[in-house]
Amino acid sequence: MATLLDRIPLLQSILIHLGYVISSVPLGFFMGVFLGILLSRIPKLSKLILPLLSIFNTIPGIVFIGILFLYTGMRPITVIIALSVYATFPVLKNTYAGLMDVDRQYIDAAKGCGMSTVQRLTQVELPLAMPTIIGGLRLSTVYTVSWAVLAAMIGQGGLGDYVYRGVSSNNNTLILTGAIPAAILAYALGSLVDWLQKLAVPRGLRKGGGNH
Amino acid sequence: MLRFDHVSMSYGSHQVLNDLSFEIQDGQLAVLIGPSGCGKTTTLKMINRLIEPDTGKIYISGEDITKQDKVKLRRRIGYVIQQIGLFPNMTVEQNISVVPKLLKYSKEDCTEIVHNLLDMVNMPYEQYAKKYPGEMSGGQQQRIGVLRALAASPPIVLMDEPFGALDPMTRRTLQQEIRSLQQKLGKTIVFVTHDMEEALDLGDVIIFMNRGTIEQMAPPEEMLAHPASGLIQDFLGKQMSGQNEHLTATDFMRTDIVSVPQNRGVHECTSKMKRRGIDTLIVVDETAKYLGTVSIADIRMAGSTVSTIEPLIKSCHTTVAVDDDAKSCFETLISKGGNYLVVLNHDGTAAGIITKTSMASAMAEQLWG
Repeated sequence: MATLLDRIPLLQSILIHLGYVISSVPLGFFMGVFLGILLSRIPKLSKLILPLLSIFNTIPGIVFIGILFLYTGMRPITVIIALSVYATFPVLKNTYAGLMDVDRQYIDAAKGCGMSTVQRLTQVELPLAMPTIIGGLRLSTVYTVSWAVLAAMIGQGGLGDYVYRGVSSNNNTLILTGAIPAAILAYALGSLVDWLQKLAVPRGLRKGGGNH
Repeated sequence: MLRFDHVSMSYGSHQVLNDLSFEIQDGQLAVLIGPSGCGKTTTLKMINRLIEPDTGKIYISGEDITKQDKVKLRRRIGYVIQQIGLFPNMTVEQNISVVPKLLKYSKEDCTEIVHNLLDMVNMPYEQYAKKYPGEMSGGQQQRIGVLRALAASPPIVLMDEPFGALDPMTRRTLQQEIRSLQQKLGKTIVFVTHDMEEALDLGDVIIFMNRGTIEQMAPPEEMLAHPASGLIQDFLGKQMSGQNEHLTATDFMRTDIVSVPQNRGVHECTSKMKRRGIDTLIVVDETAKYLGTVSIADIRMAGSTVSTIEPLIKSCHTTVAVDDDAKSCFETLISKGGNYLVVLNHDGTAAGIITKTSMASAMAEQLWG
């Protein structure tokens, strides 16, 4: 296997790239859902916090990874931290929006039935927000595939190797060798999330079945 | 027994409830009614502590409700809201079992409860239990909303304008169902409405509120006989009028008629009928005045012997004027034995037709609002 990978460096790069995505997206997802839930409990403060996070989110990945690299060094963990942080934001924003969008009537009904705050969250609010949350996960996944290209900037491999080498040597073929598998990867992982969406969204909320 | 003891509450400077004291006996259906903003919903929501009073106490069976855990209190009080609020991510069965599950009933008990309750409203388990709320009509959804409130057999059920969003016919049926459920189960029900007819119909006792105080608390008969204030009289009056309103042909007619000029060809007319799915056209002259009618049967009978519809026009249909009294129209329609009456405007143009169906549906609307 190792020899096969050595012989086909492109395959190796794809696997490394995929590895970055697969390790950082779930981390970002859980952080995003967790923070989204927290923020939805303090909507007044969130009106201040969310715009600040938006500003942070506009810092180019290349800058962030560059700064992070000063502290955590030229290691894969630097890439994973950076990608996780970026993957968090779409999920966080969608979790927050999904939870805030839950119709008042369901909250009233849940309270009136005698659900505790946690029961209300797990049995009613999160299931109702699930389509929006998974929508955030999809964004995160697709973005992360393209952000993972930055790993090459600090010598951590992935499909970015081809892109950077191609750009510096003005070699279009080399750029495409990195870009095309990345695009395919983004598409494939996006479809995977779509499939997950079907499993995670309660039947009553799916198209045709629900009243939404 | 449910007792309010000098309950007051305000939002900022606005006094919502002002020193409210009253008692509702076990097994009674008490209706809270009054103009919007009178505090009826606030009063209701205080019973399951969705809203807390500033001062005063509320007692259920002699126990101060603030001494109990909110969440536990609510599991022992049924709650039905106007927006229905069935959880769209749960099936009918799951929705009904919400409270029993919170109370940790066994799975078997939950299933049995769902079976029994669905039976009670004639919605077979096999057909409805696995449905999602989005797959049912508003009336069916609210039935399930009521069942969800009853599932853990709470002694008290709160209903916040439960039928306000339903169409009149469905509302009527559900009111009847509530009354029979109430008789069968002997619950204490607190029911908020702004509809006096509903209040008179359902209430054992009516609590009329205005500006955060009780204007009158009395059984329906007594309130009808001795309304305590002009406002209550107004509310009752709105209820009483309407039945005596002067109705005319206009209120009963269908206006979706199709008219054609007299000189049109047979083919044009038959295809027009086919398109609209009707069997008769209203025929008018050049100035749009009503001449008569032409029916598909007559056209068929005439076959190809005619090219325009002119010779086929029948003017024997009974006509009435738009402002004719509804009652006389009704009598004409029944006595002439025809299928419909043609209603004419004063200038002789056709305004619409009255059919037995349009009459029946207009009457139903008058009767049941």
